[in-house]
Amino acid sequence: MSLVADVSTPAGRPRKPPPSPALLIGLAVVLAITLWAGLSIEFTLAPLFTDLTRGKVIIDQFLRPEWDFLLRPAVAAAFLETLYIAILASLGGCILALLLAMLASKVSAPNTLVYRITRGVLSLVRSLPDVAYGLLFVAVLGTGALPGVLALIMFNIGVAAKLTGETIDSIDPGPVEAVEAAGGNRLQRARWAIFPQVAPNYLSYCFYVFELNIRASLVLGIVGAGGIGTLLYTLLARFEYSQVSAIVVLLFVVVFILDQLSRALRRRLS
Amino acid sequence: MSAVADRPAKAARPPQPSKARTTVGMLLVAVVVIFAVSQIDARWERLPELVTVLPRYVGLMLEGIIQNPFTEPASRYWSSAIDYTLESLQMAWIGTLIGAVISFPISFLAARNTAPLAVVLVVRQILNAIRAVPELILAIALMMPIFGFGPLAGALALGVGAVGTLGKLSSEAIEGIDPGPVEAATAVGASKLQVLRWGVLPQALPEMVAFWLYRFEINIRASAILGVLGAGGVGAILKQLFDKREWERIGVTLLVIIVVTIIIDQISAAVRHRIISGAGGRSRRQERRTETEGLMA
Repeated sequence: MSLVADVSTPAGRPRKPPPSPALLIGLAVVLAITLWAGLSIEFTLAPLFTDLTRGKVIIDQFLRPEWDFLLRPAVAAAFLETLYIAILASLGGCILALLLAMLASKVSAPNTLVYRITRGVLSLVRSLPDVAYGLLFVAVLGTGALPGVLALIMFNIGVAAKLTGETIDSIDPGPVEAVEAAGGNRLQRARWAIFPQVAPNYLSYCFYVFELNIRASLVLGIVGAGGIGTLLYTLLARFEYSQVSAIVVLLFVVVFILDQLSRALRRRLS
Repeated sequence: MSAVADRPAKAARPPQPSKARTTVGMLLVAVVVIFAVSQIDARWERLPELVTVLPRYVGLMLEGIIQNPFTEPASRYWSSAIDYTLESLQMAWIGTLIGAVISFPISFLAARNTAPLAVVLVVRQILNAIRAVPELILAIALMMPIFGFGPLAGALALGVGAVGTLGKLSSEAIEGIDPGPVEAATAVGASKLQVLRWGVLPQALPEMVAFWLYRFEINIRASAILGVLGAGGVGAILKQLFDKREWERIGVTLLVIIVVTIIIDQISAAVRHRIISGAGGRSRRQERRTETEGLMA
């Protein structure tokens, strides 16, 4: 009886450990950044209650998509252009990404200098958003599909090389040692010991990048880099929200189908 | 001589596995690519301009960067580039926070070990639907009409857009926990809420926070996109500068974006590393898996 009572009293319990100072500092920093950011962008949800009607006209148009618009040949052409841009950019980006990823992993890079330089270049490439590449290539080459392809290639290198590099880092060293022991050179090592190990993951990253490209085409078109985004931007400028809405729904369906396809393929690969 | 020739005889080697599938795959890719190249109206003849024109512009950008940053007009270029980049960061931060706050309770409803199957299936479909809508559309169709132009609309679009991926990844983190602590909490008579708080949350939280940080990195890049449409931030100024072709200012602005993004990525990676391997003592392999998932969110 007395034993049970002892255990249940607070004195019998081990003392709760005090919260770690790192955690407290971390929480304080998060709070400070949140206050600073929230105040700077004037965060408020008030318009949700006062201005909901202001958006009503636009949202109403969005809720009544103009389906007939989708039958126009210009829409099909824009969608096909988006598809072609995505295919070419995925191919170019993924091939370059594989080469760069080989150079950016300690396992496969010829020496530390190459490894460090490639890592630096890749984080530089990754740090710019796709829209910045779009603006840049449109400014240099003019509008059209070509700057779109180039901008997406840069974007794809950033994503695919990072993912592939991570995969190369974690491969089984056995086959690499085997090829070395048999006297294979660097290229043979990459081809026969490293590539076969990363190939399934690498291919699944390529499909993933292709998905991203279809989505990104919206953005790139807005800066003049061709595809469905260009059409969308024209309609937005004319306030044709019913037509915008129809296109968005179609894009939603296309992205969803491609998503499922690429997911199924990726699942089979990995 | 004959003995040597005998040993590596071709018959002794196992037959090579069939390459038919690879060959068919390669051919298929080649056909698709050739078709795309022939159909696309890319005006490839402009490609050489990359070599002739681009270096000149890059030169102009570098000129802008190496100007003394403390004299006019360079000082103004630098301060406006930094201001707009900070605005993008603020948008991304608030957006991530909104996404984290909304997705946190939802993720428990989307995990099989914390919610009934019927609820899980419905919530997962909702998350998938949110994931399929690009932030851009959320901004144009929903946020900008209500909240007007500016960073607030952008932050809200990023936040709602983040719910889909964060909810999915967090629910998978919850499903991946060790059932031991949950059983222990249930055995000592904990209520359902107590089980979640003391059995589930401590195990899943590190991974969830890591995913929030990934989303923050992604949102920084996405906020630039929204800016081009008028949601404030660095995208807005970039579009103006490219329209006016002020290459020196473009150079300064791009450099600020690159430096700030790389710094934030480094900080975020360090915090993630501390959270994932520090808290649970997990292996490097697990950390890498979280990283790949986060990147492909």
